[in-house]
Amino acid sequence: MFSLCIKGIKLVTEGLNNMEIYGAYGNYLPEIKDEIMHKIDELSQKVEKQDGEKLYEHLIGRIKYEDSMIEKCQRKGLDLTPKSALNDCKDAIGIRIVCNFIDDIYKLVGFLKIQDWCVVVKEKDYVSKSKPNGYRSYHLIIKVSCPYPDINGRIPGNYYAEIQLRTIAMDSWASLEHELKYKHNIKNPEQIGNELKRCADQLASCDVQMQTIRQVIHEYD
Amino acid sequence: MRVLLAEDEKELSRVLCAAMQSKGYEVIPVYNGVEAVKKAEDEIFDAMLFDVMMPVMTGIEAVQEIRAAGNQTYIIMLTAMSEVDDKVTGLDAGADDYVTKPFSLKELLARLRSLERRNEKYTEDTLDFGDITLKNTEQRLESYNSISLSVEETKLLNILILNSQKKLDNKALIEHTWGKNEKIDTEMLWIYISYLRQKLQSVNAHVGICGNKGGPYQLINNSEEDPK
Repeated sequence: MFSLCIKGIKLVTEGLNNMEIYGAYGNYLPEIKDEIMHKIDELSQKVEKQDGEKLYEHLIGRIKYEDSMIEKCQRKGLDLTPKSALNDCKDAIGIRIVCNFIDDIYKLVGFLKIQDWCVVVKEKDYVSKSKPNGYRSYHLIIKVSCPYPDINGRIPGNYYAEIQLRTIAMDSWASLEHELKYKHNIKNPEQIGNELKRCADQLASCDVQMQTIRQVIHEYD
Repeated sequence: MRVLLAEDEKELSRVLCAAMQSKGYEVIPVYNGVEAVKKAEDEIFDAMLFDVMMPVMTGIEAVQEIRAAGNQTYIIMLTAMSEVDDKVTGLDAGADDYVTKPFSLKELLARLRSLERRNEKYTEDTLDFGDITLKNTEQRLESYNSISLSVEETKLLNILILNSQKKLDNKALIEHTWGKNEKIDTEMLWIYISYLRQKLQSVNAHVGICGNKGGPYQLINNSEEDPK
């Protein structure tokens, strides 16, 4: 039991600190992540000044832990190299934008597509077509140019980041589902799966209801 | 169906039991109003047949007590009197239907079949229209995505689907969704129509509700061909 605990702690600390899979580029990633978040924040402030409504509720960013990245590369049959982690996988940098209303997700996606500091290279709309388990979010892969060298030796270098956009309700569902899925030994996975899906549909219902109320209020203006 | 029969004439009770049992109904016989009230309190039935003239407590009094207790089970009165007033008294006491003695067994059984039909076939749980599916008991709308509906949204969509060939006005929609007593106005209906529109859109349905604020409203199928 004691040794198991120690092992667990070791794994956690490794995950936090060790970024060897990204090679020399690991040091740039937090800088690039912060820059992207800064750009999104700027964009939001500009829009808020014009429309008087916040574009999003909050914004978080992370660099994918090495153990998650190793697991992902292995799952995809990729070599454990910086190239796999930075070029083949495009979510070493992850940004999550949590919005108040569903409409804001689409508004933000529209804005991000016309920014000069990034190029949207891939998008997946799990909002209008949820995953079978009920997961809803809008995923974008963007490419940004930055003053650091990249894995292909270019300066300025190109880096990828994944942006996930979702409402507060979608965010709650995703984090609770994650918690339930990994922390417990579920005896009736199919029933629980159906219940989680039902819960996702109810939260989606609230999202649509909130948005409709906002629109009805605007109709009075 | 499970039927409670309250009839004090033993011979008639036996005949009715045999007839209903032969059609697959489960029949529980009692012989006066007090027993009927007690059974209705203790067990669940799909229909109750009450004779009017019974010892200890009449059928009418039994119906009144049962309804006062909040029981909504379908009740048919068996009345020996063909006077209009007796029919009215029975119905006003809370009965749903009556047959006058002497009645034919054929007629009574036909009324039970009619009740079954009303309970089962006419309240279809799943309705399809265009590329949407409405699941009434689950309160869920499905198309290329799925979403939950509130009780009112479910009722509203149900009426719109069942009457999709008609333009429905505010009054009809409000009464069928909220009943007569609720304080729901056209403004509130408009909000619920808006909820449904947004929900139809959020499941990517090619089905919409046409009509401006104030009605009338009609469900329309916008898909060129039915993909389902």
